[in-house]
Amino acid sequence: MMVSTKATAETPDLYPPANRVRAIAQNWSVFRENPLGRIGLGLLVVFCSMALCSFIPPMVDPMYHPMTGVDPHILSSTGPSPSHWLGTDFMGRDIFSQLLAGARVAFLVGVSAAFMSILFGTLIGVFAGYWGKTIDALLMRTADIIMVLPTLLMVLILASLFGQLNMWIIVLIIAFFRWPGVSRVIRAQTLTLKTRPFIEAAVISGASHTRVIFWHIMPNVLPLSFLYMTFRVTSAIIIEASLAFLGFGDPSAVSWGMMLQWVYKTGHMFRAPYWLLPPGICISLITLSFYLLGRAMEEVLDPRLRGEHL
Amino acid sequence: MTLGRYITKRLVEIAIVFFVILTILFLLFRLAPGDPVSRMVDPNMTASDVEALIAQMGLDRPIGIQYLAYLKSVIKGDFGHSLHYGEPVAAIIWDRLPNTVILFTSSIVLAALAGVFLGKVASWHKGRAADSFLTVGALVTHTMFLPWLGLILIWVFAYQLGWFPINGMMSEEIWMKPESGLLLKSLDIAHHLVLPLATLFLIHFGGYLLIMRSSMLETLKEDYILTAKAKGLEERVIRDHHAAPNAALPVVTSVGLSLAFSINGGALTETVFSWPGIGRELVISVTALDYPLAQSCFLLIAAVVLVANLVVDVLYAYLDPRIRY
Repeated sequence: MMVSTKATAETPDLYPPANRVRAIAQNWSVFRENPLGRIGLGLLVVFCSMALCSFIPPMVDPMYHPMTGVDPHILSSTGPSPSHWLGTDFMGRDIFSQLLAGARVAFLVGVSAAFMSILFGTLIGVFAGYWGKTIDALLMRTADIIMVLPTLLMVLILASLFGQLNMWIIVLIIAFFRWPGVSRVIRAQTLTLKTRPFIEAAVISGASHTRVIFWHIMPNVLPLSFLYMTFRVTSAIIIEASLAFLGFGDPSAVSWGMMLQWVYKTGHMFRAPYWLLPPGICISLITLSFYLLGRAMEEVLDPRLRGEHL
Repeated sequence: MTLGRYITKRLVEIAIVFFVILTILFLLFRLAPGDPVSRMVDPNMTASDVEALIAQMGLDRPIGIQYLAYLKSVIKGDFGHSLHYGEPVAAIIWDRLPNTVILFTSSIVLAALAGVFLGKVASWHKGRAADSFLTVGALVTHTMFLPWLGLILIWVFAYQLGWFPINGMMSEEIWMKPESGLLLKSLDIAHHLVLPLATLFLIHFGGYLLIMRSSMLETLKEDYILTAKAKGLEERVIRDHHAAPNAALPVVTSVGLSLAFSINGGALTETVFSWPGIGRELVISVTALDYPLAQSCFLLIAAVVLVANLVVDVLYAYLDPRIRY
């Protein structure tokens, strides 16, 4: 249920197009007030640097390559040592460099799947809200059907039918199943915007549909879309990790979920806590960081929530 | 509109959605690379065996006819035979369904109750230590990676401390012995249930807590709460009888909305703990390329989500007298 924790579904007031820079400065100061938001941002910086650092270990020595590098002196799972800070996995691969590589995969999957799902969600939501009637009914009924399908299980079924899925296909499928929630919110926002005087003014002064949608409506729904994007990142990371844990991940890249699967499948669960703990902690913390970020952003967008954080 | 008519209308809608899902699944299974037979043929079958299998499954007929036959068998409740177990799919599902219901329902209901109660406490102590503790705890447990949380619980409470069994649902030595009574057997199941239930509970209660907390804070600003305070009512009465029941409504909605998410979690929990339920069966059948079983498990889960959403909506109407159909 990685969704907004806000109790009511009312849409918040948005800033007028003018004074964008000042608005950003104001928003930042509201964001900074929230301690949990700061923690989220801090964690995110850590994970970003991990993802960037993931390029270093294989350059130091090929045996640190997360997938193909094997320490010729070890060849089995051992605990932390000076040459392997977090130990090695069942065939002597370095766990620390796998962990760094996993950060890269998590960001890649999380951000791209979230971006695509809010892209679909926003476009569909705005079109449905703007045109109404049959198009609206059709799009929203489709959204209702997709919403009841458990994404992970659906991806599992697809994986069994179409064989091993590569990472970009997984990203696409996640995006396909995660747009309905976004489009509902964006549609509601579009419906209220449509009745505002500035839209009427634009229509009267002869603006085309395209111009009204992309010039006048879009800028006002985009903040909401970005808010939803942070929550979508968490769910995309969780789905990818779960899929990899069940053994249906993309075998060409090491992800945290896959690391957990290796611990579990090779029976090292009870013997190698140094191996079991790090990937799980990373998945949990990266989820937490995007979640905290989303909550802090929610507060920026919705003044009624301010001061209700810790 | 009366409640009866509303339910009828929703049931018709559910039937339509279910039909759409059925059709999509049918098309998916036909669209997949290779025909269904080639995916289930094993190498030592002869050509005539394969042809017999094709004829038996009706795959030599036109796709429209196949579709009608498929719909007919679903309506009759005939889901074919599992390739993995060689038993009728319906029998396997009936066998696993109660296990899933026990685990899933108990953990979600407990999580919702705990979320409502603790969210109420957190909002009442807003900004103080109790609130910080509960909110941060909720955030951390809610965002934990479920399979990993399950493994950690097994590691600590089953392996290190030995308080609970590592996996499964019943211990053979108790169930094989003829003299063990019903009480002993149910206690055995309960003993096995603790860790998977704790896993699902921990993941879910935080979400409900956070919703309840913000909903309570919203409700406490309402005028009728001010009136109650002005009347000189006790704080506890205001909190428990005036604010909480209204504030709990969004939690009910959220249980329904998050059902698809919870079911993913349920399948993962069952897999990690080898709990013999529908979710684990789906994961196994997908791994074993047992299409009839995988398809039926998925259909069942979709049907349950649809009906559960209706139940939540009706419950909502019952709890909130402002909503009338």
